[in-house]
Amino acid sequence: MKFVVLTKAAVPLSSAIRIDPKTGTLVREGVPLTANVWDRDAVEFALEMRDRYGGEVVAISMAPPTGILALESLIGMGVDRAILASDRAFAGADTWATAHVLAKTIEKYVPDFDLVVTGEETIDSTTAHIGAQTASWLGVPYLYYVYNAEVRGRTLIAKRFLEDEGVDEVYELKMPAVISVLRSSQIPREVKLSRKLTAREHLQIVDNSKLGLDQDCVGLRGSPTMVVGMSPAAYPPRKRIVISGAPGEVAKKVAEVLRELGVVCAVSGLQ
Amino acid sequence: MCSLWPPIDKSLYNGVWVYLERDGHKLKDVGLELLGKARELAAKLGGVEVGAVLVAAGRELAQEAIYHGADRVVLIENPELETYTPVEYAKAIATVVQKYKPEIFLIGATKRGRELAAYIANSLTTGITADCTALDVEPQTRDLHQIRPTFGGTQLAIIKTPHRRPQMASVRPGVFPKPPRDVGRVGEIVVERVEVERKTRLLARERRVEIDVDLPPVESSEVVVAGGRGLGSGEGFKLLAELAKLLGGTVGASLMAVRAGWVPHSRQIGQTGKTIRPKVYIAVGVSGAIQHIMGVMESKTIIAINPDPNAPIMKNADYAVVGDYKEIIPALLEELRKYLS
Ligand SMILES: Cc1cc2nc3c(=O)[nH]c(=O)nc-3n(C[C@H](O)[C@H](O)[C@H](O)COP(=O)(O)OP(=O)(O)OC[C@H]3O[C@@H](n4cnc5c(N)ncnc54)[C@H](O)[C@@H]3O)c2cc1C
Ligand SMILES: Nc1ncnc2c1ncn2[C@@H]1O[C@H](COP(=O)(O)O)[C@@H](O)[C@H]1O
Repeated sequence: MKFVVLTKAAVPLSSAIRIDPKTGTLVREGVPLTANVWDRDAVEFALEMRDRYGGEVVAISMAPPTGILALESLIGMGVDRAILASDRAFAGADTWATAHVLAKTIEKYVPDFDLVVTGEETIDSTTAHIGAQTASWLGVPYLYYVYNAEVRGRTLIAKRFLEDEGVDEVYELKMPAVISVLRSSQIPREVKLSRKLTAREHLQIVDNSKLGLDQDCVGLRGSPTMVVGMSPAAYPPRKRIVISGAPGEVAKKVAEVLRELGVVCAVSGLQ
Repeated sequence: MCSLWPPIDKSLYNGVWVYLERDGHKLKDVGLELLGKARELAAKLGGVEVGAVLVAAGRELAQEAIYHGADRVVLIENPELETYTPVEYAKAIATVVQKYKPEIFLIGATKRGRELAAYIANSLTTGITADCTALDVEPQTRDLHQIRPTFGGTQLAIIKTPHRRPQMASVRPGVFPKPPRDVGRVGEIVVERVEVERKTRLLARERRVEIDVDLPPVESSEVVVAGGRGLGSGEGFKLLAELAKLLGGTVGASLMAVRAGWVPHSRQIGQTGKTIRPKVYIAVGVSGAIQHIMGVMESKTIIAINPDPNAPIMKNADYAVVGDYKEIIPALLEELRKYLS
C-alpha cells in the first residue's frame, strides 16, 4: 500500500521559543528549526501502517530549501522517500494555496496513493485546515483526530477521539482517503543515524517547473485570504505586587487578597 | 487572478450566515453565539439577512435559531444525514451555501466544526480564517475583517478575503456572548433536500470515561487554579482542587502538566488549549511561557505562586507570590478555612 504523510518543517515544541517583543516575530536564532517536527505522530502512524500492511511511506512537505533537514530526520525514522515541494513562487501561501501544491504533488508523484496522513494541526499556524483542504483537492473522503486504524479490503476502519465531547467514534471510509492523526496519540520512533546519513538518496526536491502550476494559483498571489494588518495585542496592565517571606506570612497575605477580590465570601454561602 | 477561481459577481452575495452544530437534539451554544455576532455584522452591512444552516434537525431547533437572531433557517433534510459524517455533511452544507450565496459564512470551531470548515471553504473556492477572536466589516467594500492572534498571541492579524465570496471564518466556543432568547422574533424556515454520495459511515460511538477531577470546566469558572510542571506530580493537583473548591472555582493546567498525564487535555490553558477570562487566575508551578499567557491575558486578576521570582509569569501577575507551593498552599487552605468557619 502507498501511504503519504504530510509534514511541515516547524519550530520544536519547547519553552525555548521566544517572541521578539519589538518585531513581534519568532526568534529563530539558536532554535533547531528542523530537528523536530510537530507531525511526528502522523509519521509514526503511517510507518506503523506500512509495517503492518507493507508498501511504502512517502513524506511530502512544502517548505523553503531548509525543509530538507526535517525530511532527512523523517527518513532517519524510517520513511521510504521524501519529496520537498519548494519554489520561491510558493512563499506566502495561505492554507488554500498550500493544500493546492500538496495535492498536486501527491497527484503527480504518488498517483496511486491509498492513504494520506496529516498531523492534527501545525504549531505555528494551528488551523487544522490542510487535511480537509487536501481531501477536497483530491476528491476523497477524510476524517480528523484518528488514533487507530485498520485496512479491510478497500475500506479503512478508523477510530477517533473528539476531545471536546469526550467521545470515541469508529468510522468506515472508502479508500483512498485522508486522515489527520490525534495529537500525542502515538509514540514516535527514534531517528536512526545510519539511515539518516543516507537520506539524500531518498529525497527529491521539486519546484514549479516540474509541477507546472499556474503562478497565480500558488503562494501569496494564489491565496484567497490576505493579511492586511498587524497590531500589537492590547491586554490589561498588571499590578506586579511581590509577596514573599515565610510561608505562613505569605499565606495570610494571599488569603487577604482573595477575600478582597470577593472570591472567598462567594463560597461561604455555599458551605 | 488565479485561473482556478471561477469568476464571481460579488454583488450577488448577500447576508451573514451561520452553521449551527447540533449535539443530538440540542443546538450547541457556539452557533447561537455566532448568530449574535452575525446580527451585529448584518446591521453594519445595512441590515442584510441573518441566515442559519441546520442539518437533519427538526423545526423546533430552527425555531430556536430564529429566537436567537436568525431571519431565515435552511433545514437540510435527508435521512442519510441523520448521523454526522464529515465529507457528506461538508458537501451538503456547501451545496446550500452555494445556492443562497451569503457574503459571510461563520462556523463554530468545535472539533467537528474544524473538521468541516476548511472542506466547505475549498468546495466553494474561497478562503477561510481559523479561530478568529474578533470580526468586523468594512461597510464600503463589505469586506470582513477576520481578526486572530498570531506570533504567540503578541500580535493580532487582520485578514481579509477581498476577491472571493463567501468570506469564511471559524470561531471557538465562548469567544462571543450568547444573545438573549427572544420568543417574539419571527423568521422563515426553508427545507432543502440535498443528495449525498456516501463515502464514510459511522460504525460506533461511545462516551469515553475520562479520569478527571469532579470540578466544572475551565471555560465557565470565575476562579481557575492552574498547575504546571512545577507541581512535580499528579498529587499536587489534589491540593489545587481543594483550593479551587474553597474558592468556588476549578482547576486548569499548562501543556506540560497535561503532557505529564496529570490532568486531561480539556483542562489545558493557552494557545493550543482554552482561552479563559476568569475573575481570578491562580498559576501554580507554571513558568508563564507566552503560549500559556495568551490563554489568560484577559483574566481580571492574576496570582502566581512560584519559587523563581524571575519566572515570566511573575511579570505578568498582579500578585507574584514567591515560594514553594507545597508550603504555601496548605498554609493558605488553613487560613481560608479559619476565615470561613
Ligand atoms: C506552538 C506552541 C503552543 C503551545 N501551547 C501551549 C498551551 O496551550 N498551553 C501551555 O501551557 N503551554 C503551551 N506551550 C508550551 C509552552 O511553551 C511551555 O513549554 C509550557 O507552558 C511550560 O509549562 P510549565 O509552565 O508547566 O512548565 P515549566 O516551563 O517547566 O515551568 C515550571 C515552573 O514551575 C516552577 N516550580 C518549580 N517547583 C515549584 C514549586 N515547588 N512550587 C511552585 N512552582 C514551582 C518553576 O520555577 C517553573 O517556573 C506551547 C508551545 C508552543 C511552541
Ligand atoms: N507546508 C506544509 N507541508 C506539508 N504538510 C503540511 C504543511 N502545512 C501543514 N501541513 C500538514 O497539515 C496538518 C495541519 O496543518 P494546519 O492546517 O497548518 O494546522 C499538519 O499537521 C501537516 O501534516
